[in-house]
Amino acid sequence: MIRRINIFLICTSIVMLVGVYMLKFSIESTATERTSLQSHISEQEDELTVLKADWAVLNQPAYVEPIVRRHQAELAIDQVKQEQFGSFADLPMRPAKPDTAAMDALFQAIDAGIDPIDAILELEGIE
Amino acid sequence: MTITADGLPQTISLDGVRKARVNLTQARIRWMVLAVVLGFAAVGGRLVQLGMVETDTTIEGQTRDAITATRPPILDRNGLEMAVDIRVPSLYAEPRRIIDVEEAVTKLRTVLPDIDEKWLRNRLSGDQGFVWIKRELTPAIEEQVMRLGIPGVDFITESKRFYPAMNEASHVLGSTNVDNQGIAGIERAMDNESISLLQDLGLARGNALTPVDLSIDMRVQHVLHDQLVDAMTRYQAIAAAGVMMDIYTGEIIALASLPDFNPNDPASALVKDTFNRVTSGIFEPGSIFKTVTLAGALDEGTAKITDEFDARYGVRFGRFTIDDFHGKHRILTMPEVYKYSSNIGTIRIMQTMGKENYRAFLSRMKFDQRVQFELPEMRVPSVPKDFSEVGAATASFGHGLSVSPLHMLTAYAAFVNGGNYIAPTLYKRSVAQAEPLYERVIRPETSAEIRYLMRLNAISSGGSGSQMNKAALGYRVGGKTGTAEKVVDGRYSSNKVTNFFASAFPLDNPRYAMVIMVDEPKAENPQSGTTAGWNAGSLTGRVVQRVAPMLGVAPDFSQVLDQSIVPPEVRRIFPEGY
Repeated sequence: MIRRINIFLICTSIVMLVGVYMLKFSIESTATERTSLQSHISEQEDELTVLKADWAVLNQPAYVEPIVRRHQAELAIDQVKQEQFGSFADLPMRPAKPDTAAMDALFQAIDAGIDPIDAILELEGIE
Repeated sequence: MTITADGLPQTISLDGVRKARVNLTQARIRWMVLAVVLGFAAVGGRLVQLGMVETDTTIEGQTRDAITATRPPILDRNGLEMAVDIRVPSLYAEPRRIIDVEEAVTKLRTVLPDIDEKWLRNRLSGDQGFVWIKRELTPAIEEQVMRLGIPGVDFITESKRFYPAMNEASHVLGSTNVDNQGIAGIERAMDNESISLLQDLGLARGNALTPVDLSIDMRVQHVLHDQLVDAMTRYQAIAAAGVMMDIYTGEIIALASLPDFNPNDPASALVKDTFNRVTSGIFEPGSIFKTVTLAGALDEGTAKITDEFDARYGVRFGRFTIDDFHGKHRILTMPEVYKYSSNIGTIRIMQTMGKENYRAFLSRMKFDQRVQFELPEMRVPSVPKDFSEVGAATASFGHGLSVSPLHMLTAYAAFVNGGNYIAPTLYKRSVAQAEPLYERVIRPETSAEIRYLMRLNAISSGGSGSQMNKAALGYRVGGKTGTAEKVVDGRYSSNKVTNFFASAFPLDNPRYAMVIMVDEPKAENPQSGTTAGWNAGSLTGRVVQRVAPMLGVAPDFSQVLDQSIVPPEVRRIFPEGY
């Protein structure tokens, strides 16, 4: 009886031993992986700080203005003038009634095969 | 057991085998116990010894945490980065682990040839645990040095401050040293408040620090800086400075002073004349101070805006006679005194309130103390404690006392915002947060009259602010010029002047106040002059023209807005208002 129990106990301890060692090694490899990931993350964070600094430089008005000045002539842009500002109050009100006569004339012209848009496009030089 | 019997010959007594064995076993056990106790004692002693050892984790007197500590990013009011941390590798050595110093020196100099050989040899020999070799290097150099494989040489990642706007906001931001401590500007102010404590405790690591929101608008800051740079060449000035403030919250929207420095290169801040003229420069303000005198007299009620003042003859004080620069030499109304910047008229207005009251008003406007402001670079203004008759007279038009442009700005802000003094700030603040800090210095009615006077100066014919208004048409700017003659060899010089323009806009519903300074300007062309209207004035106009749309001020050319700020009593003397 005692002999059986002993054999059983020895077997169990061998199994436990193997199990514990396997666990230990797997934890060790996980820890290594974690450390390498951490250093990778910190490396990437370092790179990120540099990229963020770059982004901040590119967003500075002091960086953008020289570029604008360089392309000023080509793009035909200039500093905004006071006269160029408008407000909603300056827009004419919508006519009280739709201009039915003008609409009729337009539809009749289109029916007759003359589209006023063609004339405008021709004037602008767009085919 | 011994058996003894009388009369019997002595018998031999022997221990039994069993007993002898017991004795031997007990002795062995004793030896074993002793050995085990000694063994444990040795282990315990070693443990205590190990516990006593203090490992040196400091880096040249600083904790490792302090070296790698980060600073919070600084953002402008729209969230644009003004200062960020970048992490950079720094090269260090542990001399006590270096085996071959000569080899290490030669190898290191292949990658870093600009290091002095002798210095490096001294640095690497010895028994120290930690020495810096070169700080703040690039990742590429780190890679090369690591490839050399020198034992005892390694890298540590440090935080380095980077200012993407370069020179533009230098005086606002200040600078940091190589140990990431603020040495000037808001960086230093932040350290004094809290960050250095966090860094010392080792809490300021990683990127978790909350960003600091400043009140600066980088777009406006850029325009102001750009225009000041332009003015330096345009007027061949030796210095120029400007500052703009939100009059209701006290937030500084832009602050620039030239010549300036690059905060990424802190050594450039040590160059002469790069001090912050807005906060730590004190100047005789000249005629922009007349607004203060008029506001004082109007608020005391000793002079009314419709009153007339005799400016026919200069004011005599013993041997001295104070006269006007562009003398009209006639009787002037108060708006005319302001418009023509009459010294005589201003002295007469000051005299109505008396020199003691006038001095008390200057204290109420806080002209005799430092402005309460975050930047550490501040200077105490120089205002006499008591005025003599002549001292009060010269002070009324801004001579004989020196204040900083920031003083003038806060005073002007209080004059146009309805009469509440609000200390300026560089941190973002809402009107609701600012209101409890308001301190009433003049009545709202006086404030309304000052607004009118400032606008009058810009649009009325002959007003000294008309040069300014040319560029800024439609933005309802108004202000006062100030041309202060500099003292050269004990005398006021007429060709060396400091020019100011203090303004506010849009005056029908003011929101921003600005003070511009140009030091020792020369005429732009033979047709122009050197008085403030020509340089500081037109510079103000150009700045407003560019920044007003950014600040949400739309141009409006309608006369009604200007007419709406004319006080009713002025209509009696000027029916048309201007």
